[in-house]
This record gives sequence, C-alpha cells and structure tokens, in this order.
Amino acid sequence: MLEFDGLYKAYGSNQVLEGVGFSVAPGQMFGFCGSNGAGKTTTMRIAMGLARADAGEVRWSGHLVDETVRRRIGYMPEERGLYPKMKVGEQLTYFARLHGMDAAPAARAAESWAERLGLGERRGDRVEKLSLGNQQRVQLAAALVSEPDVLILDEPFSGLDPVGVDSLAEALLEQCRRGVPVVFSSHQLDLVERLCDAVGILARGKIVASGTVDELRRTAVGRQLRVVAPDAPPGWAASVPGVRVVSEQRGDVVLELGAGADDQQVLAAALGTGRVSHFAWREPTLVELFRDAVTDTREVAA
Amino acid sequence: MSTDVTPHTPAQLVRLVAGREISTRIRDKGFLIGSAVLIVLILGMLVFQVAINSGSDETKIGVVGGSAAVTQALRTQGDALDTDVQVVAYDDEAAARTAVEDGDVDGALLSPSGDQPELLVEKDGGQTGTLVQNAVQGMSITAQLADADVQLTDPPTVDVVSLDPDADADLEATIVALVSVFVLYSLLILFGNFVAQGVVEEKSSRVVELLLATMKPWQLLAGKVLGLGLLGLAQMLVIAVVGVAGALTFDVVDLPGRLIGTVATVVAWFVLGYAFYASVFGAAASLVSRQEDLASVTTPASLLLIVGFVVAVPAAQDPGGTLATVTSFIPGLSPLVMPVRQAAGAAEWWEVGLAVVLMLVSIGVILRIGGRIYAGALLRTGGKVKLREALAAER
Repeated sequence: MLEFDGLYKAYGSNQVLEGVGFSVAPGQMFGFCGSNGAGKTTTMRIAMGLARADAGEVRWSGHLVDETVRRRIGYMPEERGLYPKMKVGEQLTYFARLHGMDAAPAARAAESWAERLGLGERRGDRVEKLSLGNQQRVQLAAALVSEPDVLILDEPFSGLDPVGVDSLAEALLEQCRRGVPVVFSSHQLDLVERLCDAVGILARGKIVASGTVDELRRTAVGRQLRVVAPDAPPGWAASVPGVRVVSEQRGDVVLELGAGADDQQVLAAALGTGRVSHFAWREPTLVELFRDAVTDTREVAA
Repeated sequence: MSTDVTPHTPAQLVRLVAGREISTRIRDKGFLIGSAVLIVLILGMLVFQVAINSGSDETKIGVVGGSAAVTQALRTQGDALDTDVQVVAYDDEAAARTAVEDGDVDGALLSPSGDQPELLVEKDGGQTGTLVQNAVQGMSITAQLADADVQLTDPPTVDVVSLDPDADADLEATIVALVSVFVLYSLLILFGNFVAQGVVEEKSSRVVELLLATMKPWQLLAGKVLGLGLLGLAQMLVIAVVGVAGALTFDVVDLPGRLIGTVATVVAWFVLGYAFYASVFGAAASLVSRQEDLASVTTPASLLLIVGFVVAVPAAQDPGGTLATVTSFIPGLSPLVMPVRQAAGAAEWWEVGLAVVLMLVSIGVILRIGGRIYAGALLRTGGKVKLREALAAER
C-alpha cells in the first residue's frame, strides 16, 4: 500500500496542502486530479523527497518513504528532464544504475525498454535530436527502466498524440498487472475515467473526493434523471413534487430529484403526456463530478 | 522486486556521477581540442626556447693542417667566449672553402702554425674571428717563449667566490614556476567553468529533479567535482610530463631535479586550488538556471583567479616582497602565488605549511556553505536565486 498521510505544505504565506491523504493499493491505477495550482505536483514532489512536507508522511508497505525506498520508485517529473547531449541508450543505462542496477543488467534493461517504447533505432541518438514525443518516451523509459516497485508520474500524458497516449496507457496498465501501484496526475479526465481504478480529486489543499469512479458517482450530490417525452408540453415535469428541472429542450429534460421525490411518480407524469422514448438515471461524467467537487469546496470555504 | 538491484552506498553514487562526468567530457570535441592546443602551446614554448638558445651554443671551425695543440687552443678560447668549439679537420684548402660556403662550419683556419695563418669565413669574422685570433696568438706566444727558453710558473688562479650561488638556478626555477602557474591558472578557469556549466545544464534541463530523487545534493556535487577534478588532474599531469620530458630532451634546463620539484609543487597546488574553485563555481552556478546568466554569478570567483595570476607575475621578480608574501597566504590566491615563491626559494617550509592549512580550512568552510547553497538553490528554477534565499531554503 502506498499511503499519503496528512500532508501539509506552505510556501511562505501560501498554504498549498492542508492535510492531503489517500492510499493506492498494489496494482491499482490512481488518477490524481485537481485544478491548476491545487497542489498535485507538490504532493508528488514530497513523495520523491524534492520538497519537504511541513507535516504528514508518505509510506510504502508501512515504511516511511526514504532514500532507499525512493530508489525503487519510478518518477516522471512535471517538468521533463533529461541530459540533452547524452545518447538515449547511455542515458537510460545511467538512470538504471542510479536506481541501483549493476552495469550489465542496467545496459540490458535500457536496451529492452528502448525497444519496447519504440526507441530501438534512436538508442544512439542524442536526446536533443529527438522529437518532443520521442523525448517523452525516453522520459517514461527512464522512469520504468529500473523495474520500479512504485510509479509516480506527474502529467505523463500531456503533450502526447492519441497514439502516444494509447501506448503509454498500455505500458502503465502492464505495470499495474505486475502489481505496481501507479499514481499519475492528469487534466485529461476522460482518460482518468477510462484508465483508473481509483480517483482522487484535490482542491484547495485537500482531497475532496476519492474512491472508484462508481463510488464517486454514488456519493455525488443530487441525482439526475433524463426523460425524453417528445409530445410533452413544456414545463410538464415541474409539477411533480421534489423535482427541479435542470434543463429542458423540446421534450428532452434533465431533472434533479430531491430527497422525497419518487422516480416512479415522474415516469407516471411523463407517460401522462404521451410517448416516452427515454427514461434513465444519468451517470455523471468525471468532468461533472470534478466540477461539483471543486465548486463544493469553494462554497464551503466561502 | 527485481533481483538485479542492490542498494547503493553514497560512495557508489558519487562514483557513478563522477564516471558520467568523465565519460561525457572525454568525448567532448571542445575539450579534446582545447587539451591538444594547450599541449601544443607548451611544446611550442620549448621549441622556441631551443631556437633562441641554439644560436650561440656551438662554433664549428674547420682546420687545415691542425694539431692537437691547435684544437686545444681553440677549445680554451671557446670556453672563454662561452661557446662550445667543434673542430673539423679538412685535407686541403678547397675542401675547407666548400665547407664554409655550404655553411657546414662557421670558419676555416688555414695553416694555423705557419707564418701566415688564414681564416676563411662566409662574410665577416665576428665572434669566430676573435676566437681564432686569440687562439693563434696564444699559441704563437707560447711557442716564442719556449724558443726563448723562458720557463713560466703557473699563473695564479683567481678564486671566484659566489655570493648567491643559486641565483641562476632560482631564476630558471622561477621561470618554470611561472609557466606552470600559467597552466594551473588556465586549467582552474577551464575546469571551474566545466563544473559551473555542468551544474547549470542539469538545472536548465531539469534533469536534476530525476537525479535528486535518487541521491542527495552533496553526492551530486561531489561526484561532479571529483569526476572533472580527476580529468583536470590527468590533464595537468599530461602537460607536466610532456613539458618536463620535452625540456629534458631539448636540454632547455640546467637543473632537471629542480624543474621536476617545481612542477610537482604546482601539481599539488592545482589539487588544492581546484577543490577551492570548483566548489565556489559549483555553488555559484546553482543560483542560476540558464547558461546565459552564468557569468553574472561566477565573475567574482573568476576575478579572484585573475588577481592571483596577476600577482604571481610580479611575485616572480620579487618573491620576498610584501605583496607576494601576503598574497601567498590568502586562500584562493595562494595556489598561484606560493608555488612561484617556493620555486624562487623565498618561502620557508612553515610558510608553505601555513598556506596549505589556511587553504584546507577555507575549502572545508566553502564545501559546507557551498553545499548548502547548492542544495537550497538546485530545485528553484526560473530567475536568479538570491544567496540568502538559497542558504535559508531547506529541501
């Protein structure tokens, strides 16, 4: 279990983290979401020892994450970083060795990862000669080359084309199948929704929502019902008790049902207007959940 | 999880970093060209020395009808005029004439013991003329005195008492020291800047974040300083060996023992000077994130180096002077000034010891403070980090 426990961090008077806590199980893919400046990068940097938390700690398998543990973590910083004048193969070998591998296995691992990420032919090229997409692959290879026990990736998908996104996603899923917990931050919520077993939403220095996407949906405030009754007159649903009309467009309405409202009563009312072609609870997308979660805290804080 | 992985000790990490520095730099074209230029420069200086020395070294005189006595007389005169005389015997005048015309000999002496000795030269006699004239006169006087049956007692030899017997050797050693200090200065500037550029490269390319996820800042700095230092020392040694070997082969110096001693001293001072300047350059460079801003932070250290070199030159002329004495103790200046004083024989052993101790203490202090600046500033990218912020910042 990779645990982030009660992290606090302030830069001067700017309180960035106020008790961030979540945990990631082995083999779990954890999507770390939050608005710009919410503190995702700071949280990851604390785990990597690049920033010091004012309070709280990060643990892996019950041990405090220190230098020794960190050497078993594959990390991809938000600001990509490689030696521009070093050749791809040598660079990967070097990082593998820094993570504790001996020379020969490091060279083998560098070769095989370059091959797996489609960099086989570019192994002898300097990093600065590569396209941005390929540099990104080298960056990922640098994080994976030492066969780490944990992966912490800051915005790994940013700047990749759809094909690149797919191959990166495949590589990460493979790591999960190996039993590696993977934490990555992203703004691409559709991607997070598609890939992740669990999601954490960071807002105003706290995790405001976390769990599987389904769990988040269940706890989402206000359940929405979409009803399509083509022949219904405008405003037909407003008379049902406990119902609020969210949107209405030519017989296609989205309703929010309050605590005492009965969906069967809504259906009866809809059928009363004539034909009903669609009646279903609407699954909020992660984008909507995210928006709700982020705005909620604003209201609380205000 | 993986069986290939063994935990690192700090020393192993430092070695890994140092190894990367060496293998990257040693394949760098700029570095290789620079090194070659420096060695060519040293060899060029040697050849130049040989060229200006060779002119007066040797006088070749062809003799027709000479004898052991003639050769001896010419040699004795040569010693008096500070030139090695080589006597070449020719069978007849024609052969001697050709030799003079071809420039094989500086002059040809015909019938030295006869009534009318003749000296053939290309244009005018010059030194050769004086030499031959004196030799022939000397022989003639000896012969006449012998004919007159005059017995000469040996004339008294003047006892030469030298007040400063080492003066020449000191001068030679001082020149050697100056040349060595110039090389030391160049290498300190060069490798100090290598360290600075390396630090900024890691900062500007942000690779430092990946590195610091696996090691502590001091390990990264130590590895970099050590790796480049070994390379610098190797280069210093190559230059020293090439220079000393060249000087001995071309016979430029009179006292090989002192030459080697002086060069060894300078190499030792290079180690201290490098430790000092590399730490200063490394810490200073960590304050900026772009190569363009590098000069603004390394200038103070570069200036100190330049001052050291500028002081070392007059120190060679006046090694016991106040300026030379004082600066030879100041850490940072001492690696450039003290070897010159040592070479000139103007430094007592305790003075050298004190300068070394002061240098070591200051290196210790700089490593501590510099390491803190480096650690504090390394992850702050963007503008220039203020010194105070870097010192106050903890990771």
